[in-house]
Formats: sequence, C-alpha cells, structure tokens
Amino acid sequence: MKVLRNELIDSEATMNQMRNAIYHLQRFMTLNGETQIIDKLRKMGANIARTYIKYWKPINLVDLNNIKSVLGTIYKKILNSNVQIEFVTGEKKISVKDNDCALCKYKYEDINVAGCEIIMGMVAEFIKLINSRANGKSSFTLIPSEVQESKTFGHKSCIHVYQFEY
Amino acid sequence: MGTVQWFLKKITKAFGRNTNSLFYTLLYREILKEIQEITQEENDSLLILREIGKRAALESCERHSTIFKFMPGNPKKVLEYFELLWVVVFGRELEEGDLTYEVIKKEDSKYDDYLIRIKACPICAGYGMDEEDSFDFNKISDLEAEGMACGLTGMLESVANFILKIKKNEYRINILEKRCIARGNHCLEFICRIYDAVEWKKLTSIKIQDKLKSGVKIEESPEEEFVQEAKLDIFDKLQEYLSLDKIEELLDEPLSGIKEKIADLIRDKLDMEPERFFNYFLNYEDDMIRIVGYLSVHLVNEYGRIIEKMLKNELFAKIAGYIFKHLKEFTLLFIPLDVINDYHQLLIEFLDGLAPDEVVENVKQFTGKDDITYMFEGAQMALENLGIDFSELKDNIWEELQKREEGELISPEQSLMDRTKEKFPKIINIIQELLMLINEILTLPIRVIISESHHGLKTAINSVVSEEEGLFGSIKERIDTIFEYVSEMK
Repeated sequence: MKVLRNELIDSEATMNQMRNAIYHLQRFMTLNGETQIIDKLRKMGANIARTYIKYWKPINLVDLNNIKSVLGTIYKKILNSNVQIEFVTGEKKISVKDNDCALCKYKYEDINVAGCEIIMGMVAEFIKLINSRANGKSSFTLIPSEVQESKTFGHKSCIHVYQFEY
Repeated sequence: MGTVQWFLKKITKAFGRNTNSLFYTLLYREILKEIQEITQEENDSLLILREIGKRAALESCERHSTIFKFMPGNPKKVLEYFELLWVVVFGRELEEGDLTYEVIKKEDSKYDDYLIRIKACPICAGYGMDEEDSFDFNKISDLEAEGMACGLTGMLESVANFILKIKKNEYRINILEKRCIARGNHCLEFICRIYDAVEWKKLTSIKIQDKLKSGVKIEESPEEEFVQEAKLDIFDKLQEYLSLDKIEELLDEPLSGIKEKIADLIRDKLDMEPERFFNYFLNYEDDMIRIVGYLSVHLVNEYGRIIEKMLKNELFAKIAGYIFKHLKEFTLLFIPLDVINDYHQLLIEFLDGLAPDEVVENVKQFTGKDDITYMFEGAQMALENLGIDFSELKDNIWEELQKREEGELISPEQSLMDRTKEKFPKIINIIQELLMLINEILTLPIRVIISESHHGLKTAINSVVSEEEGLFGSIKERIDTIFEYVSEMK
C-alpha cells in the first residue's frame, strides 16, 4: 500500500533525529573536501520547495504587501514555527526571527553553517516559484542573504535575513 | 497496544519538535541526494545514510537518556515495542494494522529473528513521481543493499541498542531494511536479528570505511564498550520496577494472567507445582500472609538497599518506626471495611486454583481486617530486621518528643525562651490532641471518598460493554484530544 505525498501534508513528523542528521551530513561533506556548504544546504532547500509546491502553496501571488503574511504562513504550515517578521529599516531586507527553529537547537563547536540555511533556500525558492506561475503579475523575489543568528552558534533564536527585489 | 505504550507515544509526539511530514520526507530525500553527489556510488550512499541515521539517533538518545531507562530491558521486549521506537524516531503514528510481526524460529539461538512489516512507508511516499527524486535505485548492484529507509533503519537500530545498553543488557539488535517500496516491493520490511556481545563485536568489527567502494571518507563510530557490572544509581534500581513492560502487565493483565505467571515462576524457580508449594502453608495461612508483608519490605530494600541505609541512622529509624505505627493504626481507621473485604475476596480468588482447597477454605475464615493485620505484622518483622527497634518506641511520636525534654535541668533565671521551652510539652500535648481530633473528623469523609471511588470504579469497570465504548475508551479519547490541543498550541 503506497502513501502519497499529498497525504503527508496533513500529518506531522518529529525532527529531533533529522535535525541532528543535517549536522552529521555537514561533517561528512567537510571531511570530503566540500567547501560550499551554505550553497549546498540552500540548494537542498530549493529542491524541497520545487517538490513541495506541487502539493501545497500558500497563495497565488506574492508582493511587498503580502510578503509578511506569506512568510508567516510558510513557516507555520511547513515548519510549525511561529515567527516574528520585520522589514529592515533603510534596506531592502526582511528578517524572520524563529525562537523554535526546526533545524537548529543545540550549539555545535565544530559547525560553521546553520542548518536553517536549508529553510532560507526553501522559502526563497517557494516565493520565486509562486510568482513564476503568476504570469508576470509580480516581479517580487526573495534572495537568502544570511543567517544572522542561530541556535547552532549559541544564540537564543535563529534570525534569517532575506533580501528582496521588486 | 498497551495503555502505557499508548500514553508514551502521545507524550513523545506532543513534546517532540514536529514539522510537516512532507517536509521531513523531502529533507530526508535531499540528504540522500547530497551524499550521492559526493560518493557517486549508490551502494555507498545508502551505507553512509544509514551511518548518519545511526549517529543522529544516538546523539538524541544520549541527550534524553532518562526517558529510555523506563523501556523494557530485553531485546525481545524492545522489538515488541517497535511501534513506540517508530514513534520516537519518526514521530508519526502507524495506522491500525499497518505493522505486522513474523517470528523466524532459530533452533540454535536464545532469540529468534523477527520480520517487521510496515504497509505504508512515509519515507518512500510517492518516490519517483517528482523530477527532484533523482536517486536511482536501479543502479544499486549490491544484492544485500538496503533501500530508501536505510537512514531510518539506522536510527531505529541505534535507539533499540541504546535502550539495551543503558539497561545493561549484553544483547544487541541488528535491524536491516529488507524490502523497500521505492525499490518496487509492496511494503517496508525490516529483519531484526539479536546477537550476544561476542557475536555483536564480530559483526561490528568490519569498519564502515572498508565497506565503501567509492573512496569517500567517513569518520568511524567509537567502539561500544559493553558494561558488564556497573554501579547502579537509585534511578536504575527504580526503573527495574517501573519499566514499561512491567507497568503494562500490571495495567493490562487480568487476574488469571497474573496467576499463570506466578504458577510459572513457582514451577521454574522452585521446581514444584504451585499446589504443592501452597500446601506447605496448610494451617499456617496467617503466616503465609505475614510472609507477603515481610517479603514486600525486603524486596523494596533489595533495590539499592535504600531502607537499610536510611535505618542505620537512629533518628531516621525512630521516625520511620513511628510513621509505620501510625500507618498501621490509620489503615484500618481510614479504609472502609467493605473495601478491605473486597481485596480479601481478591486474595481468595487468587489462591483458588493455585492452592489446595483446604488452604483456600482456611483463608476464607479470615476477614479483610485480619489480612491487613498479618501483612503489617510481617512488614514489622522485616523492618525490625533492617534496624527499627519497635520495643523502644513510645505509643506515639509526641511522647517521644516530650521524653527528650524531661532530662534537662531548670535554670533559676528563666528567660522567655526557657519559659517557652517549659511550656513545650504542653504545646505538644495540645498539637497531639488537635491532630488526633482532625484525624477523627477526617475519618468519616476519607472513608466516604475511598468507599465512593472504590465502588464507583468497580461499577464503572463492571458496567463496561467494551474497552473502547467504556470508561477507559472515553478517557483515552479525552487524553487524545488534550494532546491534540497541546500540539495545536505549540
């Protein structure tokens, strides 16, 4: 009996072990000479978004007016996170603060890249894919800028900063 | 599924960090793809994903090791709790009938092998339908290679063996994915083999690096040390009593099941039939009940010798003695007779069929009150053995406190403090009388409460049509709803 991916949308899974697995993957990458780990993780996130959007999307069009609620919905529905979203004053940037990041919880001394780079890659790709299907009605795009803070580095929460263009 | 297992599953689910299952599955897929990008060799990728799964789960287990101390400590039981392992690792409950077991008999081994089948594998869900599902299972040449769920399998193996390790069991479980839906099989199937310490060392002596053909590097896991005789802390001792399977048996097994277990224990350990064993107590049935009280105290003491250690201190021994005396007095005062008699009836039902008819008849002559008195007498004998000198104790603790004041001299110049001290015995008397009064007043309502809950419970249990329709089913449903609300709040 096969389970279909759309059936998984309505159920939940515990991330504890998977979260640890991301950092073991990073160690494996480093040991084998991989230096572009941030890019790799963001690409993983983008791939997740490309498949995910076939089964669910929060809205048909994203622009500057609704970006905050779209981000809030994506973080809530996919990652089960309640986030605080703010525009960075004077910059074309938006920051998302997650106190309970699904992919970061413990500080690792040997890790330089936060697991939530995957989330940044996924979210940015999600927005890109939504608008690419909107027949040019919105040119709004989100580009992952940086993980400003992360529990992986010992901070109290994770802050994802995206740059936007429109 | 047992009640405790069901409850633990709920807790694990409600308090883990959950995300959407589709995100989990796709992240899992991406990890495999990244490994494949490095190895460029499908067989190796599966081996590495399994290894990463093992390490990830071990890391989690080590952080929350206390929870696992309550799991059963033998490999067969651990496998019987596979559904709970699944929820711990994956956080997603299986549907009714999704998981099935098959035992493969092994004549030359203490433990059999187990085949565990899961009808619907969420890891394989719809794999191959999307462009991004680029890991090609057709390229796998190794016939022994696992499938898509190899990482999950590694996690399950790690959790199972972590439990056995902290329970100081010398056996280990090897879990392998035998069938995979993404590889064209109709279900996910694990084969679980149980090995002793020597066999396990041999099995795990082959380094993961030596199994890889692609030349990629991976850190070796540290070799596991088998702890044969380790110092056990109080918690370790406690969990011997409170492990899941034991609580489950207590909650789920009817009296007949417990009777069978006792009969087997007598046959196994004493090498005699239960009837012959109980025949030794013919006409000494009161002593038989005293022995129960006596053994209960010694049994509790066996675990960590906590009682013995505490009673070495004279003050503690006295306090414990007084508490015991009060408990003895108040048990009969507070617990209504018909409740005690119900338990007496339970004792008769327990003996019926196990003990000779004459023994059962003699026990029938006792009252519930007699049972309690004999039990306390037995327990008192055990406590005397362990260090309480009951002959030294006064009628109650207040007299003991008064006695301590008697030996002191009265100073000619009495301060306020001295005058208060002088009044101390009188104050104690007042407190004693007040407490006794409160006790007397409380006797009736406490009897009512105990009686009411006892009969209420009895009526509720007896009037249940089925487990699901009855009170238990309703409670389960209610707790389910509470956990759902907790999850939603999170």
